[in-house]
Amino acid sequence: MTNTVEVTGLSKWFGPKVAVSEVTIGFGPGVTGLLGPNGAGKTTLMRVIAGLQVPSQGTIAVLGKDPRDDPSVYESMTLVPEDEAVYEHLTGRQFVELAARLARLDDPKGRAQEVLETVELTDAADRALGGYSKGMRQRAKVAAALVPEPEVLLLDEPLNGADPVQRAQLIRLFKELGAAGRTVIVSSHVLREVERMADRVIAMVDGRLAAVGSVATIRAAMTDKPRQLFVDCSDPRALASELIGTPNVIGVHVNGARLMVEAADAREVALRLPAMAVGRAVSVTRIEPADESLESVFRYLVEGR
Amino acid sequence: MALTAHLYRRLMRRTRVIWLVLLASVPGLIIAIAGIDIEPDQLPEAFVGIMLSVGFTYAIAALILTVSTLRDERDAGTLPYIYMRPIPRISLAISALLAGILAAATIALGGWLSTVVAGLLHGADLSLLVPGAALLLAAAVGYGAIFVPVGYLFSRSVLVGLGYLVLVELALSGLVSGLAQLSIWRIAGSIYVGLVDTPGLDVDAVLGAVAPGVGGGLVKLSAALVLGTAVLTWALRRRDAL
Repeated sequence: MTNTVEVTGLSKWFGPKVAVSEVTIGFGPGVTGLLGPNGAGKTTLMRVIAGLQVPSQGTIAVLGKDPRDDPSVYESMTLVPEDEAVYEHLTGRQFVELAARLARLDDPKGRAQEVLETVELTDAADRALGGYSKGMRQRAKVAAALVPEPEVLLLDEPLNGADPVQRAQLIRLFKELGAAGRTVIVSSHVLREVERMADRVIAMVDGRLAAVGSVATIRAAMTDKPRQLFVDCSDPRALASELIGTPNVIGVHVNGARLMVEAADAREVALRLPAMAVGRAVSVTRIEPADESLESVFRYLVEGR
Repeated sequence: MALTAHLYRRLMRRTRVIWLVLLASVPGLIIAIAGIDIEPDQLPEAFVGIMLSVGFTYAIAALILTVSTLRDERDAGTLPYIYMRPIPRISLAISALLAGILAAATIALGGWLSTVVAGLLHGADLSLLVPGAALLLAAAVGYGAIFVPVGYLFSRSVLVGLGYLVLVELALSGLVSGLAQLSIWRIAGSIYVGLVDTPGLDVDAVLGAVAPGVGGGLVKLSAALVLGTAVLTWALRRRDAL
């Protein structure tokens, strides 16, 4: 599979802040999920690929061209930006027609109507964008991005603000575009969303690539790492002695009325805990993961490299 | 043309236009008031003096308008919609400059109409109609050439532009003869003075080291346009667009 987007040794910094650090990656046809917590560098990477920001170091090639040097690449590449920004005074139809005119298409009105139908926005097309819901704005932005039938489509958090029905519609659309051989790069901080549409996932943390592969590979990488559970109970020492020696449990630490359990499979331990507590006549008031946030999961991936 | 039309429409928001036309109409207001005490035969001379001095308010209106041409897009986060188009960057720059200049010229027309009406009320003839319009049009071109790139490059572009207007145009260009050649208002004024016949006017006081004359003024404005286009094209290619 030939890569349509090649990122080589890319770094981008703003003063002392490094947003993207030495990223080398290629993107080909199909849907690729760009996954990472907020501030991971996903948006900056997207903007640099789109030519909106200049790399501090490294190179970008989209269909063999650097967008900064050759704007003809924008005949084949579009972006749905993360910001809610649209021209609020324009109607949805005018917004999409403007995109078609600036793309120098022969029939801007006809093409606008087609893409508005694709994103199912024809009913609201003649209302001002200022009165649109967040989800409708997202669909209008997607419609404008689809206007030139792009080979490469960059979607920065495109499901933000969309309701479940709109999400399902957009995910179906992105999968269809990927299946049709387009390069679709979708950023998100929600693994489940990416899992529903992407064949391949690129995880980013702190501006660096943390993992690359299928969703299954990423999930496996996450579950390979020991996880921590906090348990609040009436007799932590009694429960700790029960837990030690239990399969999956790697370590137990007592801190006042709180136990910190380190486990290879925290979910399995959490399921067995109530029975253990009953056996030792210990009252458990709370079980919670200490490190379930996406940030910490990604940090595991980075530390494990 | 689609891009120029889009940027022009975006600039000409109703509230903004009303305020800026009022600002550009200050010379007309002054003429309306001061004209009461001026004899009709002295009116053309007074008219020229007022236009060249008080007309500077138009420069501020042009600054506020032209820096917004691309700055509005950057600040609103809508720049990607026009930046990511298969348009050569020089065409993008020319379209933006054209939109800014057209918008500034529209404001100038509004201000100029009020000035003409004020002059006619006091018995002035229409001999200054074309030179006055030429002054403001020349200023629109010059300020557009400078301030559209400034608006793209600096987030506090109005302050930067005011710095230029106050330091270079008002203060230093009257003291340092070399700097007078960098004053758009004086260059536009040189075209104006080249078109009117006012022997009593103290040209040195209003133009400084800038020689009056239409040809020289047009050459300097053309140079400003070329420089503005080059700077903006460079910035669009080599600077972050967000």
